[in-house]
Formats: sequence, C-alpha cells, structure tokens
Amino acid sequence: MTANSAGTKPFYPIAELYFYLTADCNLNCRHCWIEPRHLAASASSSCLDPALFVKIIDQAVPLGLNRVKFTGGEPLFHPRIEDLIDVVKKRGLRLTVETNGTLCTREIAEKIASVDNAFVSVSLDAANPEIHEWIRGKKGCFAETLTGIRNLTGAGLHPQIIMTLMKRNPGEMERVVRLAESLKAGSVKFNVLQPTARGERMFAEGQAVDIADLIALGKWVEEDLSKTTILPLYYDQPPAFRSLESMFNPQSGLGCHTCGIFTILGVLAGGSYALCGIGETVPEMVFGNAARDSLRDVWENSPVLNDIRSGLPARLEGVCAECLLKNVCLGSCIAQNYYSRHNLWAPHWYCEEAHRHGLFPETRLRQTETIK
Amino acid sequence: MSESLDTKITANPLIVLREEFDDWALLFNPDTGNTFALNPMGVFIWKILEQGELSSAITRKVCESTQDAPPDAEKQVEDFVLEIVRLGLARKEGERDS
Ligand code: SF4
Ligand code: SF4
Repeated sequence: MTANSAGTKPFYPIAELYFYLTADCNLNCRHCWIEPRHLAASASSSCLDPALFVKIIDQAVPLGLNRVKFTGGEPLFHPRIEDLIDVVKKRGLRLTVETNGTLCTREIAEKIASVDNAFVSVSLDAANPEIHEWIRGKKGCFAETLTGIRNLTGAGLHPQIIMTLMKRNPGEMERVVRLAESLKAGSVKFNVLQPTARGERMFAEGQAVDIADLIALGKWVEEDLSKTTILPLYYDQPPAFRSLESMFNPQSGLGCHTCGIFTILGVLAGGSYALCGIGETVPEMVFGNAARDSLRDVWENSPVLNDIRSGLPARLEGVCAECLLKNVCLGSCIAQNYYSRHNLWAPHWYCEEAHRHGLFPETRLRQTETIK
Repeated sequence: MSESLDTKITANPLIVLREEFDDWALLFNPDTGNTFALNPMGVFIWKILEQGELSSAITRKVCESTQDAPPDAEKQVEDFVLEIVRLGLARKEGERDS
C-alpha cells in the first residue's frame, strides 16, 4: 500500500490481473478448483473476447498494472492466445502462464518466450502416466504435457512443474522432481489439494491427504527432498508451517505464500471482474463486468474489495486471528477462505484443521496455551 | 562503532521472543501485533539486549562468539541494532517509551 499525493486516502495499485481466459478446458481434472466445462475440441468456445481483453488492459495500466497471469480453464485453449500474448508484450507487461501443457506447441512456446521474463508453470501430477491421466481425466495427456514442456524448454524457458497432492500421488513426488530435472524445468511446486469445486468432492470422497501427512510431507520436502536437487522446491502450505529460514533467509529463502488480494483482481472468461477465480462458482464475488463497468470504478468502489482493504488482516478469525504471521500471510487465500465458509474473515482450512488436531506450531501463536 | 552510538541499549521488555527448533526465532510485539523473524545471530544479539548492553560491547561479544566474522561484521551488527531500535523493539538509554 502506498499513500496517494494528498496523503490521505490509501491508494491500491492493481499490480496484477488474473485472466481466467476460458470457461472450458480440454482436460477434465478431478481436483480443479474452477470447474470449467470439459470440451473435447481443438479450441475453447467460451472465452474472453480479445477486444475486451485490450480494453481491460488499457484501463488497468494507469491503475498500476505491471503483470498479467493467464490461467483458466486452460489458457492455451483460447483460440486467439497468440494475439493476447502480443498485447502483453507490446505493453511491456510481465507474463505468467499457468497451463496443463498439452496445447503448448512450438509456436506458442516461442511466442511466450518472446515476452521478457515470461514465467510458465505446467501441471504434472505424477511421473507415472497412468496416475497423471487418472487425475487429469484424459488418456494420452501425459505424453502431450511432456511435449509441451519440451517445447517450452526448446524455446529457452524453464517452466515450473506444479504437482497437486492427493491420496493417490505422494509416492510420485521424488520421481516428479527427477523428471523435472531431466526435462530442464526451472523449479517444482507441490500444491495441496484445495476443498473447492471439484476438489471439495475429492475431500468428501476421502481422496485428500490427511493434515498430519501433509505437514509431514512439507517437512520432508524442506529438509530432505530439497537437498537432493539443484531445483528450487516449493511446498505450498501456509507460512505457519514453514521454517523461518526457508522464508526469510535472504540467501536461500524462497519467500512465503501471502494473499495478494490488495493488488490483484480476477477477470473471468465472460469479462466479469471477480475475487480471483471464485466468481465462477460464487456469484456474490463478482464485482462488475468489463463490457459495461469502468475498471477504476470497480476497483475503487467495490464494497467487498473495500471491506477486505479495511479489514485484512485485523478481522481474520479463528486460528488466523491468533497467528503471529497473519500480517505477512493475510489468511493465505481470501478466495479459498470465502469459498469454504462464505465469510471473508474465515480462517484458512489448512491451519484450522491443523489447529484442531493439535498440530499447529505453538511458537506461531499469540497465546501458546491455546494449544494443549 | 561510532562514539555517539555507544550508549546502553535495552530490549523492550514487552516484546516476546519465540525461539524455534532451528535457532531462528520470532519477535512479537503484543501491542501492535507486529512480528519479526530473527536468524540465529539476531537471536544471540537479542539475548544480549535483554540484559542491556553498550553498543560497543554488543559488537565485541558478537565478534568473540564467532570464528569467522565477516570483515563488515561490526557494521552489520550496528545496522541490526539500529533497526531494532527504530522498530521500537529496543531503546537507547535516556530515550523514553513512545
Ligand atoms: S493461521 Fe492464517 S494467517 Fe497464519 S499461516 Fe495459517 S492461514 Fe496464514
Ligand atoms: S484470494 Fe487467493 S488466489 Fe486471490 S490473491 Fe489471495 S491467495 Fe491469490
């Protein structure tokens, strides 16, 4: 947060827009937190209008925009993806692409690589094709993803491999790291399955890893697995469970996950402005639409966004209210927290679950006696 | 260490130190809710400040405690202590509580 010229009203730049470019996807992943429509076609039929995309970017740059993230659905399923990348490049913006990799042709990889400092992450949930395809819902997609990754490295990029953890695949973690090394990836990130949309159903079906095992896996990644590779490994759990050194050592620290909601806005495939991606499943978290509303107006006057700005982190509840890292973490993910409880100040499920089981680190709580 | 800085510096007794398994620690200000991470050397210095110490002696104790102090160790310690004071986590003798 910075002060505006009058020094009175806080000014929040929109540093980054998350574009959920397509409302459909060529894969059918059983854990997807957006739940796009599965479409067995060569291109999305429900995607962001490129003219609207340009209009949004033009309105966002004066509000501080310097980065865009293309996600989805599957962003590379957008039939005009190369044109959108060109717009980002021409405006000198930073680009992040989150993709399943299956549609990443050599041409698209080169187009992405033509943007300065582009960052790409590719989902790969196992080194075993059968497990990856069980998770991703399409036969043959493992080989397609590997081809996509090779196209990216061939274009000079070193994508991050993202593996989402669920009951079926922790045994694959080490092998994914080895595969990432052989593919010349830049890093590996282990995401925890979130209880959102299809992920929520996986939790209900008992396909999520138990909290005690998740915490143990995080420790193993940080203390053991990371020592076996030159690749940076990120285990995406709230900062309460990370060692201080892993987050704050300027030499080796990897930083920590913190909710970026003060400077991030989501744009859905239909042009709606939303609290990151959850506007797709939670309609009250949609704040307007680019086709009719001014972005400045939405950004500055949305009651929900203003509520978040004035209330975060002080109004966080439950274990987040007691957490010594709440000023850094900001509740980890407000969108996820809202999805879980329909309450912006709800604690993050991971920390809450750990606290309930007596597994929350005592040194990270205001009152150590709250854990017995 | 400059002469002008050689005053006694004492940790704010309200600040809570939470030491962790790897010798890092959190400093927590219950009044403001602010939290700061300390590496093992920061923890060592904080414990000296808890007793109250002249700034020159802090530097000397730090240098004595380590075999391979970097050439700019004195400056690093001085900057760290000044930052701690600036953040209101410790105070120089003669200064009042804010
Ligand atoms: S308890 Fe809340 S604030 Fe603390 S690390 Fe977990 S999610 Fe973040
Ligand atoms: S709400 Fe979640 S997705 Fe949005 S910025 Fe915060 S952490 Fe990221």
